[in-house]
Amino acid sequence: MISTKVIRSGIMALGIVLSVSSLAQSQQTSQPDVQQLRSYSMSREVFLLGTVVKFDSASVTLPMGAHVVLQTASGQVDVHLGNAKVLQAAHFTLNPGDSVRIAGEPLALGDSTYFAARIVQKGTQAVAVRNTKGFLTTPASLMTREQKEALRGVR
Amino acid sequence: MKRLLFAFSVAAVLWSAACSGNGTVNPPPPVGKYSVASLNGQYAFATNGESFSGGVNATPLARVGSFTADGTGKILTGVEDVNAAGTTSLALPITGGSYTVNADGRGTLTLQLAQTSIDFGITLTSTNDGLMIDETSNANQSSTGSGNFTKQNAGSFQVSGISGPYVFDFPGLDGDQTFPCPCPESFVGRFDASNGTISSGFFDDNDNANFSSGPFTGTIAQDPLQVATLTSFGRGIALIAGQDYVFYIVDATRVRFISTNGGMLSGDAVAQNNTVPTNVSSINSSFVFIVAGSSGSGGITRIGRFTANGATVTNVLEDTNDNGKFIKTDTTTAASLSLDAANPGRGTFTFTDPNFPNAPSTFVFYLNSSTQGIIQEQTANNNGAVDVADGTLAAQTGGPFASSNITGTYAINWSGLSLQNGGGFSVQDEEDLVGQVTVSSLNLTGAADIFQFQSGVPVFDLVTSGSISIAGDGTSSTGSSSRNTMTVKLVKSNTTTVNFVVYFVNPQLAFFMNNQDPNRTVAGILQTQQ
Repeated sequence: MISTKVIRSGIMALGIVLSVSSLAQSQQTSQPDVQQLRSYSMSREVFLLGTVVKFDSASVTLPMGAHVVLQTASGQVDVHLGNAKVLQAAHFTLNPGDSVRIAGEPLALGDSTYFAARIVQKGTQAVAVRNTKGFLTTPASLMTREQKEALRGVR
Repeated sequence: MKRLLFAFSVAAVLWSAACSGNGTVNPPPPVGKYSVASLNGQYAFATNGESFSGGVNATPLARVGSFTADGTGKILTGVEDVNAAGTTSLALPITGGSYTVNADGRGTLTLQLAQTSIDFGITLTSTNDGLMIDETSNANQSSTGSGNFTKQNAGSFQVSGISGPYVFDFPGLDGDQTFPCPCPESFVGRFDASNGTISSGFFDDNDNANFSSGPFTGTIAQDPLQVATLTSFGRGIALIAGQDYVFYIVDATRVRFISTNGGMLSGDAVAQNNTVPTNVSSINSSFVFIVAGSSGSGGITRIGRFTANGATVTNVLEDTNDNGKFIKTDTTTAASLSLDAANPGRGTFTFTDPNFPNAPSTFVFYLNSSTQGIIQEQTANNNGAVDVADGTLAAQTGGPFASSNITGTYAINWSGLSLQNGGGFSVQDEEDLVGQVTVSSLNLTGAADIFQFQSGVPVFDLVTSGSISIAGDGTSSTGSSSRNTMTVKLVKSNTTTVNFVVYFVNPQLAFFMNNQDPNRTVAGILQTQQ
């Protein structure tokens, strides 16, 4: 199990750049310019705070991967969590009714957008599902030094 | 008449053999010209995928090695080097093993290591080479990945055997071992080698969306810890731009590399010949390209074509699968190509999709000949790379493409991600397929193995069928936005149909990627068997 200290401090370092309500509103009423969202930028990162309505490790919603639907103060938001195996490796579960905080931002997917999570936090546990450049983390990212050393047994 | 009767009788046998009656369907007995004698000699192999060895989750895995087949079904000797997300296991002896080759060129390969064995599904593309997927699934580990093997020339097994200019493409993971890395990296370039010295190197790197490029030097040497592996297997060590590698010499024209000090980069360096154009005005070809890698959404594949007349680029067509989102690029503006006078074979081509005016598609390439090279995508938006992806560039020749020349037997391989259900927990995970199909009247029939990694076990001998649809002359060079497509149906205990867009390089080679089903992001090749 990885230490969440670093991740938590990372979240704190982001600061509250937008209020939850204004973010949710931006999701619904003011779609960001798709043209500007083809790469992840920490400068655009915002927080989502909400309650889990539905978690799907293999959602039919694009892009492929794990998604969570959050009920926020301003409505429901679908969030892409990337590779469900990362959540599984971190023993991180999401169930309806869970309160979560997500750091992320809208990203372009063709001519549409989706909300890409970078860090998902429930209680004191947080998991980075993307790195700071927006690329999905893999279970390999979560390995301890001892686990990495054990890979010498891989043939 | 006698022949016709024979054909009917064969068909009857095939039909009965294909219906086993236990809910699964098996392919008919293979026909063709291959046998175990077709795999005879020393081959360098490479695969890229992932492994699961218990205790920890699936881990990215690259392997490069050499095995010797005796032509009767036995593996005599060999060695391999393994890199699991930056953790290396070096110079593992292959002490034996076995293999099969069916008449259609499909077969199995088992390499015996000290305390375990690793298994592959193979399809020969000739007696000199073939495609393979890792099908290891035993008590010690499961591993998958796609790759190939190619016959080695022992006459080149010396440091001086790597001589002259080479271009290389090493994709994989970077050396950052701090959470949340390792992160995706694409490292491409060219170098000159002479008697163990690498000089005049130039690289382009996309490390986790950070672009860099510049000159480098390096060395090539025997491995002091495994001196004999150079003369026995063509294996040695190299230092390239400050990164350590193990290499395997295929012959003077190809060397396979795998990084060994942090990170997981692997790929081939291919000799650059004197047909490489030195002036952009001498480029008058159509090209097909394919790249694969990571975007912010997940896995990404792009495949396309363009026509270059000097610096002028026309008839660009591109298909993208961004982790399930399919994007067609039919019209472009500001398409152009340029060469880097300072670095032979290096150049860039760019075009703008009017739908994405703020992020012109940009690729750097390194040609190893007038018709082939490697490419790395360098498209950026808001000063950030949109992906980390690289692949192959190849001149499109031999068109028009039609049922008259897209015919015969082909090896098929694809690799990528799909949504899979293992243990009741559905996730996206690696998918690899290798097989053989006969193409006749643009219809496909054959057999294949598939390893959807989440399931933990590969599925063998799927009945494979389908069809190819060719648009126009098949080259997409006339400004038409229509595509060539292919449907592949896989049948075992259940049925899966995958739809692809296909770009023909020539009648012997095609690149494809799926263009339907958002639950899959795979790309692959069709390659004629010789």
